[in-house]
Amino acid sequence: MTGKKPASRAPHKRAHAIKIPPGAYPVFSPKVASRLSQALRDPQVVAAAARVIAHKAEDLRVAVLGYVDRMEEAARAADLTTTFEQAHEIRGLAGNAGLVATGRIANGLCKYLDAIDRAGRTPDQTLVALHLEAIARAARAEDEATRLGDTVANELAALVDKKLAEINDSARRKTGRDAPAGGA
Amino acid sequence: MSGTTFEHLKALVVEDNVHMRTLLRSLLTALGINHVYEAGNGADAFAVLSDKSPDLILTDLSMKPVDGIDFTRRVRLSHDSPNPYVPIIMITGHTERHKVEAARDVGVTEFLAKPITAQGLFLRIAEIVERPRPYVRCAEYFGPDRRRRADELFTGPWRRHEDFENDLEIK
Repeated sequence: MTGKKPASRAPHKRAHAIKIPPGAYPVFSPKVASRLSQALRDPQVVAAAARVIAHKAEDLRVAVLGYVDRMEEAARAADLTTTFEQAHEIRGLAGNAGLVATGRIANGLCKYLDAIDRAGRTPDQTLVALHLEAIARAARAEDEATRLGDTVANELAALVDKKLAEINDSARRKTGRDAPAGGA
Repeated sequence: MSGTTFEHLKALVVEDNVHMRTLLRSLLTALGINHVYEAGNGADAFAVLSDKSPDLILTDLSMKPVDGIDFTRRVRLSHDSPNPYVPIIMITGHTERHKVEAARDVGVTEFLAKPITAQGLFLRIAEIVERPRPYVRCAEYFGPDRRRRADELFTGPWRRHEDFENDLEIK
């Protein structure tokens, strides 16, 4: 339990919660837990795992470029659903592919399209097109992080934040309470 | 590597992107977990869960036809769930708050944001192994206790019956 408990009943409806402590449900045996703890903190194991990620980066970069091609194709066909799906794949993989700015831009686009979808509104085509162009350029740049990728990602993130605020304001005016568009 | 292997530990990776699935499998193998099963969505994962009884699950959020949230809900609440207490780490690129909250509220144990790092993944596993949380069952929720930390500054709102256990009844 947290903090100082109330001295008297609160107006909130009480939930009858049953707490089930570790051990009353199956947990890792002390022996396995101890060995796992050691392995998880073993610098050699952590380094080996980091090497695994580094080793996969080039494969992931190639995969991201494939998603970029498909995203552009879907955008040309005005297929917003597939465009969003490909952008989602890009944001999931780009960071581990070493394409950090690409991932950030794709994340901004996904956040925006998610908010638009939830608010039942039509996306701003200019904003979407800007993101698609930026994702493609950043992913294909040989040195995306050191060129304009980060700057573009920052500027687009600010634009998305502004658009999300607009969606929130509009929904608040309609419902008188918080809107669904906010990102975490 | 230290050469430590965990012969009896089993993990399940649920991820529709084959590249990410392979990466996660490789990370678990680097840790010494050799029995790593894979599924491409929540429906297939539930079948693997029933068949292989993994000790740990890593799952993506967005998958079709059954996503990570519905999969977690089924694991925690379904009458045919083989292990409602299995630790579930949700690995996701989603930063939308409503999705993270939805995942928390169906009983995800830990979250890990993409891009994946070895330290990030290992910290989540360590949290599960070293500090297993109580499970809470109430009308609206079953899963790991969402009150993770003891916050001395927390002043409410107080909702649970146990929060009032020592109250004096006012008659």
